[in-house]
Amino acid sequence: MPENQNFNSEAGLPVNRRAGKVSKYKMEHYVAPLDETPLQAVDSVKETGKPLSMWAEAWRSLRKQPLFIISAILILAVIIVAAFPQWFTSQDPTYCALENSNEPGREGHIMGFNLQGCDIYSRVIYGTRASLLVGIFTTLIVIIVGGTIGALAGFYGGWIDTILARLGDIFFALPLILGAIIVMQLPAFRENKSVWTVIITLAIFGWPQLARITRGAVIEARNADFVKASRSLGLSKFKSLVKHVLPNSLAPIIVVATVNLGVYIVAEATLSFLGVGLPPEIMSWGNDIASAQTQLRNNPMMLMWPALFLSVTVLSFIMLGDAVRDALDPKARKGA
Amino acid sequence: MLSFTLKRIAQLIPVFIGATLLVYFLVFATPGDPIAALSGGKPMTPATEAALRAQYNLDQPFWIQYGLYLKNLVTFDLGMSFSGQPVADLLGRAFPVTARLAILALLIEGVFGIIFGVIAGMRKGKFFDSTILVASLIVIAVPTFVLGFVLQFVIGVKLEWAKPTVSGAATWSELILPAMVLGLVSLAYVIRLTRTSVIENKSADYVRTATAKGLSRNRVVRVHVLRNSLIPVVTFLGADLGSLMGGAIVTEGIFNVPGVGNLLYRAILKGETPTVVAVVGVLVIVFVLANLIVDMLYALLDPRIRYA
Repeated sequence: MPENQNFNSEAGLPVNRRAGKVSKYKMEHYVAPLDETPLQAVDSVKETGKPLSMWAEAWRSLRKQPLFIISAILILAVIIVAAFPQWFTSQDPTYCALENSNEPGREGHIMGFNLQGCDIYSRVIYGTRASLLVGIFTTLIVIIVGGTIGALAGFYGGWIDTILARLGDIFFALPLILGAIIVMQLPAFRENKSVWTVIITLAIFGWPQLARITRGAVIEARNADFVKASRSLGLSKFKSLVKHVLPNSLAPIIVVATVNLGVYIVAEATLSFLGVGLPPEIMSWGNDIASAQTQLRNNPMMLMWPALFLSVTVLSFIMLGDAVRDALDPKARKGA
Repeated sequence: MLSFTLKRIAQLIPVFIGATLLVYFLVFATPGDPIAALSGGKPMTPATEAALRAQYNLDQPFWIQYGLYLKNLVTFDLGMSFSGQPVADLLGRAFPVTARLAILALLIEGVFGIIFGVIAGMRKGKFFDSTILVASLIVIAVPTFVLGFVLQFVIGVKLEWAKPTVSGAATWSELILPAMVLGLVSLAYVIRLTRTSVIENKSADYVRTATAKGLSRNRVVRVHVLRNSLIPVVTFLGADLGSLMGGAIVTEGIFNVPGVGNLLYRAILKGETPTVVAVVGVLVIVFVLANLIVDMLYALLDPRIRYA
């Protein structure tokens, strides 16, 4: 059916577009000829199976996307490295001999040595854990706190919304890094510097953004017909929020959270670079880059390797977020 | 329009008070006795110490300190730094430098971001588009301070195209390289945002009409596609001005720019409450005003938007 094809094709040339418009008009009156779908095809559809949910459909389109496959493999690799660094290097990253200071790479030490004579490769491998922990746990806390606050504000509206919006405004006006530096100076944080203080600090300034996005998504879902139906069938307000509104506003939250995971890893590195992040005894990419800056002229590789690992990790989370967005947004899927 | 503006400026007040209160409290709670730091660890007579404490209101409880600070603020008295300089002077010297830096960064972002974004969007899926997409992803993924070091090293030290560090005067031309570093990440976002918006708009009905009535492609792109695609981009740029000034901490540190970020960083480490709160207060005002200007630009870009 030529009209049918025109209708599906993305309008490229003006001529096509006109044809598309005409066929769109016809589509309203269009009745499929009986022979278009053979009867066997109708019979062969399993009726017992559940209809595909939005997530199953998204998964089906994700599986075919090269962007998703590449980023998923990279992220999986990073997680394995973070969990079992000893599988990837036999060197002790804390064994440093000054005689090796700034030595170039050689057998068994492919990336060479840093100023203190430590093996750069093993430090990069063992540094993965701190960066990844910060990224994952900050994201989790931000989703729980920001998501809850945003959902309550969007769903109940009224004075709760007003207060939370103003509170969010105040935190929003303080840039992440700036606020984080100030919080990291607090006694409770400065004296117990660890991965956890960095996570909590980043979460304090990270939640307003997610709360806003959740609020918007919840407001959109709140007015959907199926939510109104569930309410008129007697479901309590809170139950309809948990059962119907939240599952239907998850998509933008997941996308933003995935991309932000990378942003938090960069923020941790930036804080460590400024000297207020992780304590120097914790091996992390941020600390290694920070200590490499003074050696940039003598040994640029000392900066490049941890920076490369960090960037590739962040890049894979951003790509994953992009791929998930494309999969969850049916409009984008049709256009592709 | 006027009442809208007034309403928005009135909204600024609670945000300003909230943010300064938060920062004041955080710095107040920070340990380290600033008076002990002031004396450089040397012993001080109790009388001197008490006098100094009274001078900076450090002997008062938190609420009184903050109240006194706000009271002085109304008369544009920002207090004194611990080294005895008026905070207003420090800010007056540092602020123009950071403002120049942020404006340059914003220009770089806006001009290059929109041009690249439009070209990529109009040629979706072509070579230029794919290259720009990959390049922008890489720029987003690499931390600013790494980009800063690499550009400083390559352009400033190896190629000697620009001075690797900025002098005390911090002239416009000296600030181009730091501004590039500062604006690079946002540039990537602007490109992607413009591209998405252009792709969405280029198949809109009015664009087809414009093409059909025989307008040149140049005019169609500039007037019909671009103007309608600018709203999300302008929103981003407005919100970004505030974060550029705050994010300048890292860039100013690398290039030794004597701006607000440098001032703030040193003041935070010293626990110098008046300076920290003043700088953060100014940053908050810039952030909120930039967003206000953006809201007003909406009406210019899209006449359908009217503020009653």
